[in-house]
Amino acid sequence: MGRIAILDRIEHEHEHENRDAEYEKKQHRSESHVLLQRNPAMVMPASRESFQGGVFHASIPGGRSGATLSIARGELIADTISEPSLRFSIPLNQCQIDLGGASNRMVFCRTKEGDLTIFCEEKNFAKELDFQSGGMLAGPLKQLKKGLAADANRFRFWLTLSAVACALLLFVGYFGVLWTAKIAIRALPVSVDEKIGTMAFSGMEMGRKLEANHPASRLVQEIVDKLKPHASIPELKFKVTVVEDKDINAFALPGGQIVVFTGLIKEAKSAEQIAGVLAHEMSHATLRHGIERVSQSLGIVAAIQIMVGDVGGLVALGAQVAQTSILTSYSRAAETEADLEGARMLNAAKIDPKAMADFFEMLKEKMGDLPDAMAWISTHPQHETRVQSIQNHQKKLPVVQYEPLQLDLKAAQDAL
Amino acid sequence: MQVDIRNRPSFANLRVQLGAGDRIIAEAGAMATMSSNLEMKTRFNGGFFGGIARRFLGNESIFVNEFSASSPAELVLTQPFPGDMVCTELRGNTLYLQPGAFIACEPGVRMSLGWAGARSWIAGEGLFRLKLSGSGRLWFGAYGAIFDREISGEHIVDSGHLVAYEPTISINVGMAGGIFTSFFSGEGLVTRVRGQGKIYMQSRSFDGLAAWTNSHLM
Repeated sequence: MGRIAILDRIEHEHEHENRDAEYEKKQHRSESHVLLQRNPAMVMPASRESFQGGVFHASIPGGRSGATLSIARGELIADTISEPSLRFSIPLNQCQIDLGGASNRMVFCRTKEGDLTIFCEEKNFAKELDFQSGGMLAGPLKQLKKGLAADANRFRFWLTLSAVACALLLFVGYFGVLWTAKIAIRALPVSVDEKIGTMAFSGMEMGRKLEANHPASRLVQEIVDKLKPHASIPELKFKVTVVEDKDINAFALPGGQIVVFTGLIKEAKSAEQIAGVLAHEMSHATLRHGIERVSQSLGIVAAIQIMVGDVGGLVALGAQVAQTSILTSYSRAAETEADLEGARMLNAAKIDPKAMADFFEMLKEKMGDLPDAMAWISTHPQHETRVQSIQNHQKKLPVVQYEPLQLDLKAAQDAL
Repeated sequence: MQVDIRNRPSFANLRVQLGAGDRIIAEAGAMATMSSNLEMKTRFNGGFFGGIARRFLGNESIFVNEFSASSPAELVLTQPFPGDMVCTELRGNTLYLQPGAFIACEPGVRMSLGWAGARSWIAGEGLFRLKLSGSGRLWFGAYGAIFDREISGEHIVDSGHLVAYEPTISINVGMAGGIFTSFFSGEGLVTRVRGQGKIYMQSRSFDGLAAWTNSHLM
């Protein structure tokens, strides 16, 4: 199929007429294409625009060539770039339009027989084809565009879906790791707490530590010994250090390292009050608030380290956290928890938990004239509510006969 | 300029015989041997940024070498892996090459880097492709033998086997069969090529080689 007319150079002068005649004939015989060899100098832009595209036809060496396309007189014309230049055309009313190519934007125009294909990727080509065909190709072009849009939409849908899925997976993964690490930390042996506490303690800058046989140290140690049997973690080794500091302060490090400032001992009205503070601090250690703090400040890397069993990294991190934030870090919930656990311990040791509440009460009164010394109280919950909650809690505890501590607070205070 | 592809298909190399005034552009590092009277000039592969983009995105060299002869000379070009080479001539049409396939071309051929798209990437065919257009002969190589196919309609190629294709061809990723078949047949994802035009395929794939080597490392 397809008549090929190769005109010789002499006839080039008449090419126009020939082409017109050819066109007429073609219309009658419904020929799908015509092939001319022509003089490149004779190229006349047939449509307002020309496009860069290509042609597939068996008569071209290699079967294909790049071509300059134009649309004129109801025909799509392609002039090949190769030498010698060949001309191919397809009447628009016989164009089989298709879209595709690597870019998915290439417009193909085929003859019914499929032996000639003219294609173009340029943006305006489809528009020009639509315009020149007088709407003849509007249907197929529109349909193709619709298909393309549906394709793009589907692609966008899957892209969005996979992006959301990825984000969700990351999110779940991130918090999942942190959450698992928290659980894993709680499952760690208390020896880890002890290691963290010891490291933090040795790295801390403190005032002079009192000798173990100092009356104040002995007093504090005796109270701790009395409370120890009632701690919720029996294997925890409590170690108390009294440090020379005028602040009314005491704190607990993970693992049972407890530091009491001399200022607190001086201000205490009774040994029971000191017992109240110590019970509170020991509760922080038995409730493992320190390691909870560590797990809260845990980054994703440390969390993964713990999950794969690298406890060394956790200890180093814990020591750091304990040093920088031990005095201010426990949350209100943790403080309240320590208050109640402390009250339980006091009650079990036959010491009136009221002493703890009394101590807060006393501190409240002191607050006005001792602003610098209020470090301990300032980070703790509102003491009215504290006193209240301790008293309420006391009512729920088993009734015991409280025994006053047989300790000489006066002697300890005088020795300071 | 006369170019022969010798020692096909396993260890193909190009023997280029240049006449006075002939020029050829080759991938950097492709030269195996050359006459001493041949002049070699190195230039950026499509400008500085183009060259860098080609290196990092298209897995091609930043530089290309241009060989020009003022008197008859000979040049031998090779590729780094065993396999065949083919010659094709551009006549104003375009050909897309997979990264790493390009070996040499005549000065009339223009090179640029084109975005191949996420689909091509998923298909294991690279995110970018080398676009060759203009007129002139060009030579490219592959791992293993090269075979071409004039397609019209749809055709399936295993991922990693497509070397070159014409812009009239669209590329889509698909599964070889159902989910079960796709994952247990060892075919996994395949490339579905559709349209009219020529595709060039290689008989071996680097992924296949890597998987085979890997299985022997255990």
